[in-house]
Amino acid sequence: MAERRETRKEAGAGLIQYSTENLVPFGPIHPALKEPEYFKLYLRGEMIVDVVPRIGYVHRGLEKAAEQRRWTQNTFMFERTCGICSFAHSLAYVQAVEGLTPYEVPRRGLYIRLIVAELERIHSHLLWVGLLGHWAGFDTLFMWVWRDREIVLDLVEAIAGNRIHKSIAAIAGVKRDIPDSMKNKIVERTKYLADRAYFYKHIVDTESTLLARTRKVGNLKAETAQKLCAVGPLVRCAGLARDVRADDPYAAYGDVPIDVVTRTEGDVHSLLHLRLDELVVSANAIDYALEHMPSGPVRLKIPPTIPAGEYASHVEAPRGELFYFVKSGGGPNPERVKVRTPTLANLPTALELLKGYTMADVPVVLTAIDPCFGCMDRLSFVDLDSQKQWTWTGEELRQFGIRYYFPERTI
Amino acid sequence: MFGEVVQALVFPGFLFTLGLGFLFEWIERKISAHMQGRIGPLIAGPHGILQPVADFLKLLHKEEIVPAFGDVTIYKVAPALYFLAPILGMLFVPVTGIEAVATFSMDLLFVVFLLAYSAFVVVILSFASESSYTIVASGRLVLQYVSYEIPLVIAVVSAALFSGSLSIAGVVRAQSATWNIIYMPLGFVAYIIALMAELEKPPFDIPSAKTEIVAGWLTEFSGRSLAFLKLTKEVSLIFGGALAVALFLGGPLGPVPQDAFLASIVYTLYFLAKLLAVALLVFVLRTAMARLMIAQAAELFWKILTPLALAQLALVVVLRGV
Repeated sequence: MAERRETRKEAGAGLIQYSTENLVPFGPIHPALKEPEYFKLYLRGEMIVDVVPRIGYVHRGLEKAAEQRRWTQNTFMFERTCGICSFAHSLAYVQAVEGLTPYEVPRRGLYIRLIVAELERIHSHLLWVGLLGHWAGFDTLFMWVWRDREIVLDLVEAIAGNRIHKSIAAIAGVKRDIPDSMKNKIVERTKYLADRAYFYKHIVDTESTLLARTRKVGNLKAETAQKLCAVGPLVRCAGLARDVRADDPYAAYGDVPIDVVTRTEGDVHSLLHLRLDELVVSANAIDYALEHMPSGPVRLKIPPTIPAGEYASHVEAPRGELFYFVKSGGGPNPERVKVRTPTLANLPTALELLKGYTMADVPVVLTAIDPCFGCMDRLSFVDLDSQKQWTWTGEELRQFGIRYYFPERTI
Repeated sequence: MFGEVVQALVFPGFLFTLGLGFLFEWIERKISAHMQGRIGPLIAGPHGILQPVADFLKLLHKEEIVPAFGDVTIYKVAPALYFLAPILGMLFVPVTGIEAVATFSMDLLFVVFLLAYSAFVVVILSFASESSYTIVASGRLVLQYVSYEIPLVIAVVSAALFSGSLSIAGVVRAQSATWNIIYMPLGFVAYIIALMAELEKPPFDIPSAKTEIVAGWLTEFSGRSLAFLKLTKEVSLIFGGALAVALFLGGPLGPVPQDAFLASIVYTLYFLAKLLAVALLVFVLRTAMARLMIAQAAELFWKILTPLALAQLALVVVLRGV
């Protein structure tokens, strides 16, 4: 450990001259990454002295595309920002839009939002636990956990009609009601999943090889997490009780008790525990919400134009705090939508954690933040030599594209 | 002369070993699949038993891409050299009786050398393909090799010492009354764990950890070379397992009928049953564990297994009074 700390100090001083000999590329195409993203790892032996990320491989221009679509169409487009926390994205978007309107969302709609959001959290956490098993070379855990994940996906399909992109959020409500006949089934399944979570906690605590790979790997201090603006499970595992569900309740979270789970170790093993504990909390919240769900309509019909104004909304996505900023000019389209995903917020923390650890820790630590690069990638420009950073307007970008591809053409 | 050639090439030599390699790969895939709640290979042949063969044939006719940098000659020759080791080694392990196909007075030393040789060839071929991943992998492999080799050799040596012979046939013959494992459980444990490290099975699949260094030292190989490298890994399991059977489980020995031909068949069946037991142990262990890091693996071998093997050696010395 003493050696690790020493290397971190050296790397922090920024005095090391790197050569290409000790550079190992991690990505853009790599078996440990679900999505393309490039990390230059500077190694000394197996030890990582520095990590330089190069993000932007899956930039899709969603924010720009939003400006050409209607308010309702955007609900479904932003859902496709992420293939895992899709409901969190559409929820954050519709909440931001609702903030601009005077309408009150029906109570039953808010409860259904909570139920779907918590089911999504269970699905996302199970996915992550399985993938961590895979990254640590424990494929059996991966297979078992992903089999259990099918249960929650089937539930989501029964409620929303789709497994992944639920398409159930709508401006001023939700699109589908949960019939009373389905309640028993949901309670029964979530109870089973909570039992499985205890079983997996037992595995995670007793399997010695997995313990060797996860315990004391990553050492996130509360100060570091705060300084680098970590969000979600990552900041909670450092001991800070930050959860949008409790701090600024949205949907029906004000009525449903949510325990904010925190750990103090700040390592990957505590993240495993934290996510499995949160899974149980989510299962309990679903049961509570189903029991106390008021009757009535689930959605209001509203006109297609949204009053002018600006509004920012945030939700607790499974990976952490997710921001949506919406600006309306009073027309049928938004003027600007800005998304800040939890992965972008957590990436600096993950890179900081990696320094001083070994090549073998990279997949485990890097993916401990549950990265979703497709959600994260945005366009901005940084000149590394002069440390200059700037943004371009759409027209400037178009001009650059023409210059890049047709250098001979004069504009 | 003709008889020897058939023995070396068909049974119990080359083709028999290859067949066992394919069969045990299928068993491994099936067992790990069922333990993980999956089905495993199902399409090629009954219950997918021909799937390893189908995979091998498919790889054979895939395009082979040779890296532009690196040593092309070694890159092309090394897979054949690697393939040679377990195939050659199997000739020295008794299958159909006490005597193996090839044998000489100190063949146990030669077989141990073959185990070291295959690790050496892997290092050469990963340096020949010259990519970041293979270089990191070969560094890991060398560290892993110097970790597992010592308990492995001590376990083998204590078996030889206990039986009072440096030839495999001699070790097998000495076990006609009781198997070595009765007196040498620690040596057997050390051998099996070191064998898993040699075969790069989890938790020791560190040099080919796919979520860290792509395919490890296999990264730059494709087509025919890849097919043979993968096949060699399977055959190495047969070789290492057969050696465990010969050294600790009494080789193919057991009660047999008088008739020489029938006896050889029954001997072979005993051998297969014992080999299957060793392989099942390896397969179950590999499915139930996560991958260690290289430093942790080295720690395991140096701090736990080497003293364990040494304790076994001391026990043997006390028992035999040498």
